[in-house]
Parts: sequence; C-alpha cells; structure tokens
Amino acid sequence: MEDSDIIELYWQRDQSAIAETSEKYGGFLWNIAWNVLRSHGDAEECVNDTYLRTWNAIPPARPSAFRAWLGRITRNLSLDRWKQSRAEKRGGDGMEVLLGELDQCVPAPHGTEQALEDREIAGLISAFLRTLPQELRIMFLRRYWYGEDLADIAVKLGCGQGKVKSSLFRTRKALRAYLEKEGVSL
Amino acid sequence: MKAERLFRVLGLVDEDLIEEAASPAVRQRKFPLWKVLTAAACLTLVCGFSLTWLVTGGFQGMGSSAPGETSGSGIVTDNEPSSEEGTTFMSYAGPVFPLTLAEENSGLPAKRTTTWDFAPGTYQDGTPRQWGAAVTDRYTVVNITESDQTVTALYPFAGSFRNLASQRPTVTVDGEEAEGPLYAGAYAGGFRDAGVDDGSTWNLQYPDSWMDYKALLDDGSYLNEALGDGLVLDTPVAVYEFTDFTAPANYDAATQAIAFTIDQEKTTVLTYGFNGASWDEDTGWRQYSYFVPNGIRRDKDPKLLVVLGDDIKDYALDGYENGGCEKEIDGVSCTVTRLQMTLDQVLDLLCRNYLETYADWQYGMDTDEVAAVPDALFRRAVNELMVQYGPLAGDNTADRYDSGRLDDIVSEAMSMDRVLYLAVSVNIPAGGQVDITFTMWKEPSFDFGCSGSENVGLQGYDFVTQLGSNLDFTGQRAALANADNIQIQRQNFGFDLEKGVTEVTLNPEIAHYYLEIRPNE
Repeated sequence: MEDSDIIELYWQRDQSAIAETSEKYGGFLWNIAWNVLRSHGDAEECVNDTYLRTWNAIPPARPSAFRAWLGRITRNLSLDRWKQSRAEKRGGDGMEVLLGELDQCVPAPHGTEQALEDREIAGLISAFLRTLPQELRIMFLRRYWYGEDLADIAVKLGCGQGKVKSSLFRTRKALRAYLEKEGVSL
Repeated sequence: MKAERLFRVLGLVDEDLIEEAASPAVRQRKFPLWKVLTAAACLTLVCGFSLTWLVTGGFQGMGSSAPGETSGSGIVTDNEPSSEEGTTFMSYAGPVFPLTLAEENSGLPAKRTTTWDFAPGTYQDGTPRQWGAAVTDRYTVVNITESDQTVTALYPFAGSFRNLASQRPTVTVDGEEAEGPLYAGAYAGGFRDAGVDDGSTWNLQYPDSWMDYKALLDDGSYLNEALGDGLVLDTPVAVYEFTDFTAPANYDAATQAIAFTIDQEKTTVLTYGFNGASWDEDTGWRQYSYFVPNGIRRDKDPKLLVVLGDDIKDYALDGYENGGCEKEIDGVSCTVTRLQMTLDQVLDLLCRNYLETYADWQYGMDTDEVAAVPDALFRRAVNELMVQYGPLAGDNTADRYDSGRLDDIVSEAMSMDRVLYLAVSVNIPAGGQVDITFTMWKEPSFDFGCSGSENVGLQGYDFVTQLGSNLDFTGQRAALANADNIQIQRQNFGFDLEKGVTEVTLNPEIAHYYLEIRPNE
C-alpha cells in the first residue's frame, strides 16, 4: 500500500491503518528501537507506542515522508526509554557508546554561541551533511540516526569496519568544527 | 546531556537525507581478485590499473594530528564518560587499566590504590629528565567465600611488542615477586586516509583517547580473543625463493624483475623482500622487482614470492638499469628455487628471520628489547593481522596491506599498539585476602615538540576505574609521589599540590580520570 493510502486510512480513523503501518514499516521501526535499546521487549513497546502516537497525530498531521516521520517518533521514544532504563540500571550500553561518540561532535563553548532551536541546528547539520560525499553522509546517518552497529553499516555499504570507523571519526571531527564555526551551542 | 540533545537534533535532519541513508545500495569492491582459499581466510587483493609501488618505508600513522580541546581544570562531578574530559594528544599512551580476573562472577571484592611517582629520571648524560611516571597499581582482593579460591589475575596494559621491554609491568603477590604468562590482544587501532579525504585506509590510526579503548574492551570479546587459540594458516603455498644475485657493477640500482600472468580469481601473490611491483588488472600481468644486492649470494632478508591458489607459470626474469624497470640490461641474474610450504611455515620463517637479523637495526631495538618479545605472541599477532586487516581479510583488507607485502605485516605486527595482559595465578584462602601489586613505567601522552601545539611539553596520564574489569571494587584511591617537580595543568582527580592533597578517593561511577602535568622550569 502506498504511504498516502495508509495516511488516508488514519484520516478516516480506520484502525487498519495501524496494521498496514506495521506490515510495511514494523521491521524498519523495530530495528531503530533495537539499535538504541538492545532489548526485545523495550523495542517492541516503543514500536507499539509509535503506532499510538501516529494514531493520535494523524490527523491533523499529513506527513510527506512517512517512513522518516515514523522513524523519528520511534527514535525519540527509544531515547526516552533508554534514559529510563539507564536510571533503573537495566539498560544496555550500546546507546552509551553512541552518545560517547556524539560527544566528540559537541562544539566547545567560546562564549559567543547562539542558543538556537533544535530545528535550526538540525538545518545546519543537514547543510553540513550535504557537503559530504554520499558514502560518508550515509555512514554518519546510519550510525547516528539509525543507531546501527559498525559491522552492519560495513555490510550494507560493502566495505570494511575499519573504514566505517575511520570515516565516522573524521565526520565527527568535521561536524564539531563546523558547529563551532557556526557558533552553535548545545 | 549535550550528546543526548545532539542525538535528538539529528532526528530532525532533512527527510530526504534520512531516506537516502535508509536503503543504501551495497557498493561492490571494484576488483575482487581473490577467492576463498582456506576456511579461515578469504584473500582479496585490489589492484589499480597498471600501478607501480616502490618501497618507501610506508606511511607512518601517528594518531590524531590535531591538538584536542580541553574543558578546563577542576574536579569533574559529571559521571558521564566523555573523551573531551582531557586533552586529545597527538601521541596517546593509553590509560592505566584495572585488574580483572579470568574467572567470571568470582564475587571477589577488591580495593585499589594507584600511585604515579614523578621522581625524575635522567638522560644518558646524567642530567635530570622529567618524563613519564612509575606507576604502582595495588590491589587488595578479599575472598569472602567459605572456600579457598585460586584465580588468574589479568593485568591489562597498553603497549606494543616493540616497546615491551620498557612497558611490561612487574608483579608481586603479598610482596613476593610473581611471574605468569603474557597474552596479547589484536591491533587496538584502525586506519585512515593518507591526507585526501577519500575514505581510504592507507595510514594507521592508533587509539587517541580512552574512549577508543572503551570501544575495544567494553564487551569482553577483545580479551576473550586474546586468551583464545591463535589462528592456523595451514594453506599450502608455492614459495619462490630468490638467491645467488649478480648484476653488472657499473649500475647503482640494477634491478631484477620477474614477470608473469595470473588468473586473478584463482591466484594470490604475496611478497617479501621485494622493492617494487607493477600489474595490469585487465590482463592479470604482474611484475615484481628488487634491487640486486650486488655481490651477495643470499641477502640477510629472504626474497620470496608466496603464491596461494593456482601456481604461476611461464615467468620471465629480466634485468633493468634501475627500479623503474624500463631499460633492460644484461648481466642481471639470480637462482629461483620453488618450495612447497604452508603459509604458517612461511610466516614462521619470516618472523624468526625478523627477530634474529632485522629488528635490531630497522627499529633500533637492542638485544634486550628483542629478547623481551615473546616469539609465539609475535608470531600469533602476525597471523591475526593477516586475517583482520591484511591480505587474508577479504573486504576488510586495509588499503595499506592490499599489495600483499608481508614485510609490512611482519614489521607492523611488531610495532602496533595493542592491549597486553600479564597473567598471574593467585591463591586466596577462605576469608582471607591477598595483595597484588603491579609496577610499571608509564610513558605520558604528549604532543610532538615540532608541532607548534600549545600542548607541547604537557604530559597526559589517563586512568580508568572499571573498564574491562569484572572485579567488584569496594574502593579506589589515587596518589602522587615525588610531585615536587611538576605542576598540574588539568585533572579531574582532585589533587591539590599547593595544599598538599596528594591522595584522593575516587568515585567508581566516574569511568575515566585524567591528569595533565608540566615539569617545573
């Protein structure tokens, strides 16, 4: 079923919208949640919560890129769930590693930064990503948007893990320099 | 936490970018030439069109090339691990790691006290030198069970075979010197490009922060592999040995070349002791060459072509004026002997040769340094590198090793950074305790003197509280000794030399501590 048709089902308040969403994007969403949480139960719950959020959001929303839109919800829910799990000391450490890597992108404070809204910073990061070769851009997003393992990224891109690791390292450094140049504060 | 916000912000990047990354097309390697020849190893060699390489000593990676950022001084109360807690140095010495046990779930609590002794050493001429620190890492392990326990204590330390003589800790158990076997993990770093941002892997990229070691050790697989059996490379190979070299005396760089054509899907060629190579990936034509060691019957280094898979045939031997292999000359000759061996036997030969006759001058290793290298571990590391990043690594083969030069594999297995483990067996009576003390000299992390970095002269010392350890630490303390000749520039330990605070209790929730000092003028 086309995304527009699924969205139309939501607008009609037809509960088969959730089944269609699950059939088409359930695996995609589960992978995102799993990459963050590393827990089958928690990942399942986050995906189910995604469907609930979607049901509540459409209407009035009519997302143009449905898959990415769903993925964002799952990703945010997963991060929230991970924080909760960590507070209860039952979370895996995959996310710790991810955030540890992202720490290297955080610009150092210089006192002249702008307190930008998330969307403005995301716009800057999008612009930065567009300056990268496609392969580096995909590696970066598969790691930090989809939360994927280096090994999985290497398989998907048909290259070695070492290359993925070194490429990500360079991109993190470049992003940090870029954000500092743009005077971004996080 | 800022990284968390960044993670959320990344969620808002443009949707077309997210879609682009969602289903990337798998990129095929352009020139897959080798097939799987053993159960353990897949051989891949990627060739450029009519490429020629000449031995230049290789690229020398040296970790991060840019001075890092700092977050200022003072005690860090945030227990979130971050690589930005201290300076990112150009040369990173690695942290002091905690002791662990080979046995899982031992349930043994332990207390730890780590001391950095900054008593100055001396240069060769006897003048004082404030460089590095003598580290004493002391553990009191308590047996709270009702039965005696014998455990294997494993003490990790960052180092290389090349520097093992100065890096290897000594160990005492209840004051008595103890000895045990050494284990070595695989190469701890990765690879990076050669200055052109093309995603290539020509250069070594050593770990440059404690986070790199965290990624390496966190899940325990690195240690398990270090303790496991080594790889067996018993693939049959044809070895062509080159001896009896002759060349006209009036050429400074007379060159012997061997040329042949192979089916690149069926044959892999590795070399040792050769200086140049040319090949054409369209036809499978190969040419390997070396400078003729004039008047020498047998070079101190063997000159070998190692052929895996279908053997080469109909090779031509030609002499050239120089390594460019353009102008042929007469009078260049050699004897080529074909041997049938296994790859392991070849690598045995090369490693033995390297340790006996080569390491002493190439890397300036003296006799004691060479003697400190455990032959079996070095040999094992060569196999590991062959399979992890070398010519047997398939798609993981680093560009650096794509050409199949075993010279690089053998020499770099010697000098690469890795985590080594000193093992000692310890008996702890029921209800009793034992003191295990490791002492070692620890080189600092530093920026190169010629770099112009503001951190030149700064010495960094990293420490991790729990990384890779299965001990249940009930307390950790850190101490400084003979600190009269240093100034603390940055730290998160809480030392205060002016107030005489040279011993502090550590927070086990903080994964990483750092200390950065400068010697007094």
